[in-house]
Amino acid sequence: MEQARNYVCTECASAVPSGHKFCGACGGPVPAEAQTLETQFFGALQMPGKARLIVVRGDEAMGEGLSYLLQATEHVAGRDADQIPFPSDNWLSPTHANFLYRGEKLVVRDEGSLNGVYIRLRGSSPIQIGDHFMCGQHLFRVDATPKDSSGPEPDQTYFYSSPRRPSAFRVTQVLEGGMDGIVCCALEQTVEIGREDCDINFPDDVYLSPRHAKVEMTGESLKLIDENSQNGTYVRIRGERELGHGDYLFLGRNLVRVEVTA
Amino acid sequence: MIVCSRCSKDNQDHYKFCLGCGAELPRQSLEPRSLSTPNPGGERTTNAPPARAAASGALASAPQIEIDPAPIEATRPEPIAMADPLPPELAPLSDETSPCSHCGAQVPENFRFCHVCGHDLDADGAPDGGAAVPEERVSAPAVAEAPEGATQRARLVLIQPDGSEGDSFPLGAGRTLIGRSTGGIFASDAYLSPEHAEFRFEDNQLVVKDMESLNGVYIRIDPEFPIELFDGSVFRVGQEILRFDAPSAPDPGADGTQYAGSPHRGFVGRISLVIGRDATGNSYPIPPHGIHLGRERGDVLFPEDGYVSGLHCRIHSEVGHVFLTDVGSSNGTFVRVSNESFVPQGTFVLMGQQLFRAEY
Repeated sequence: MEQARNYVCTECASAVPSGHKFCGACGGPVPAEAQTLETQFFGALQMPGKARLIVVRGDEAMGEGLSYLLQATEHVAGRDADQIPFPSDNWLSPTHANFLYRGEKLVVRDEGSLNGVYIRLRGSSPIQIGDHFMCGQHLFRVDATPKDSSGPEPDQTYFYSSPRRPSAFRVTQVLEGGMDGIVCCALEQTVEIGREDCDINFPDDVYLSPRHAKVEMTGESLKLIDENSQNGTYVRIRGERELGHGDYLFLGRNLVRVEVTA
Repeated sequence: MIVCSRCSKDNQDHYKFCLGCGAELPRQSLEPRSLSTPNPGGERTTNAPPARAAASGALASAPQIEIDPAPIEATRPEPIAMADPLPPELAPLSDETSPCSHCGAQVPENFRFCHVCGHDLDADGAPDGGAAVPEERVSAPAVAEAPEGATQRARLVLIQPDGSEGDSFPLGAGRTLIGRSTGGIFASDAYLSPEHAEFRFEDNQLVVKDMESLNGVYIRIDPEFPIELFDGSVFRVGQEILRFDAPSAPDPGADGTQYAGSPHRGFVGRISLVIGRDATGNSYPIPPHGIHLGRERGDVLFPEDGYVSGLHCRIHSEVGHVFLTDVGSSNGTFVRVSNESFVPQGTFVLMGQQLFRAEY
C-alpha cells in the first residue's frame, strides 16, 4: 500500500502531475490552490507582511527563544517597556528602542538610550569618530588623535613626552561601568582586533575569532570591516535604521534576530 | 650623527626618535642600519645560529636571570640592545628538536622548558647549573649613618651618555636651587624649567623638592623594591613616560541603567603613554594579577625603545594598593617625585635631559 504521489483529480481519481491546470483524463479543473504550491514560511501563515523579533540570547529571566510579533505600528523595547520588556537587564534604558513601520519597511529607532542599539555588520560599514562597535564581549569606540600639546612653554621650557608616532585615529575599549580600557593608536592605517596577532588582542575571549575585525582609514574616511568572524561585529546605530530579514541586534545583553516575512 | 631640528640634540644615525625631545627624526637616516627587531628575511637567519649556540651554552652552564644585553649600569648608554642577537628565550624557533625526557614531545633546541608538559630541560643536562649570578647593581646603601659634614661634600655627579662621570655640581648645606636660570651645566637644557628643583638636607638626608617644574624630577627606584603608585603617578622606563590612573567611571544615569562595556575584570587602574601635556597615547588596564612591561617580554611591550630592558618592570596590586617594581632592568625605572622626596646616597636623579647621581 502506498500513497499517491500527485494531486488526484476529484472527478475521475486520476493522478494529475503538478503544474497542470486540468486533468488529462477527464478534463476536470485543478483548483487554484493546488496549482501554485510554493513553500511558505510558517510565520507568514499567521501575519503576512509583518515582522517578528526572536530573542536568540538573553538572560534566563527573559527566556531565550521568546519571540515578539510586530503587528502594531510601534513596538517599544526597554527595561520598563510594556510591549518588549527586558526587566532584568540593567544595560537597557527603561525606554530603549522602538520598532516601527515606515510604510512597508521595518525600522528600529534608538530612543535616546544610554547604551544604544547595535546591528550586526554585513561585511563592512563606514564608521565615524565617536562611533561605538562590539566584537565578541568587547565594546570599542573610535576616537580622534588628540591635538599635539607638547610645544614649549612661554618660558621656553620644552615638554618632555614619550616618543610619538603619527597616528590617524585610535580605538578605545570601553569597560562596563564606563571606564576606558585599552587604547590603541593606529600605526599605518588600521587597528585590528582579535584573539591573537592583532593590534588589540584578547587571548582568553572565546567569542572572538583569531582575527575578528578591523578599523581602516582610506584617505579621510574610516571603515569598520568584519573579517568573517564567527560571532560578528556589531555597530551602534545612529538614530534610526532600516531592518531586513536576518538582521541581528544587540539590545543591552540581549541578542535578537529580525524575521521579516513580506 | 643626526642633529634634531627641534632641540638640537645629537642623535645616533639609527635613531628613529630624538633622544632629547622624542621628535621623529628624518627617515633617510634609518637606511644604513635598521633598528627594528623581528626583521624578516636575511637578518633573522644570520641571527639564528649564534642564538642557538648561545642557548646550548646557557643550558650547559649557569643560567642567567638577567638576559639584558645592555651592559652599562644605570646610565643612558647607546641603545645597543636592539642590535644584539636576541637572548636565547626570544630567538626564532629552532628547527632542530630533541625529545623531552618527560613526555617525549619534540622540543626546539633553544627551549629551556618543554612546551607540551612544562618539564625543565635544564634539569636533565646540567643537574646543578649553579645559582644565577645577578649582575652587580648599584643599590642605595642605608643613609642612617651619614658622616658628619656630609653636606660639605654633597654633590650631584653628571652621568654622561657613555656611562662615565662628568661634571659635579656641589650642593650646599642650605637650599640649592637648580634650573635653567642657575647656569652651569643646567643652562643649556631646554627641558629644565628656569627654576626646576631645590635640594636641601634634613637630618643629614638629602631631600629634593620639585619646584612645580614642567617636566619634573625623577628618581630611580631600587630593583625588586616595590613602590606604591597613586592616581596620577608618573614614571619613566627607557624613553617612555607613563602615567598611572586609578579606576574611575562616569556616574550611571539616575534611572538605574548601567554603562555597558567589555567585562571589567577587577582592573586596579590603567597606565597610559604620556604624549603631551594633557594627551595620552596607548593605554592598558591593569588586571589584579598585574602586568609586566618590557621591550620584548611582558604584557605591554616597547619594541622600538632600546633603553627599555627585555623585561623591565612590573605593576601589581596587593591589598587594594598598586605597586611598581623594577625587575632588574639595565637602565632603571624612574618615578616622578610628587612634591618632595628623600634622595638616599647614590640615588640616580633624572632632571631634564640629564642624569645625576647624588653623592654625600
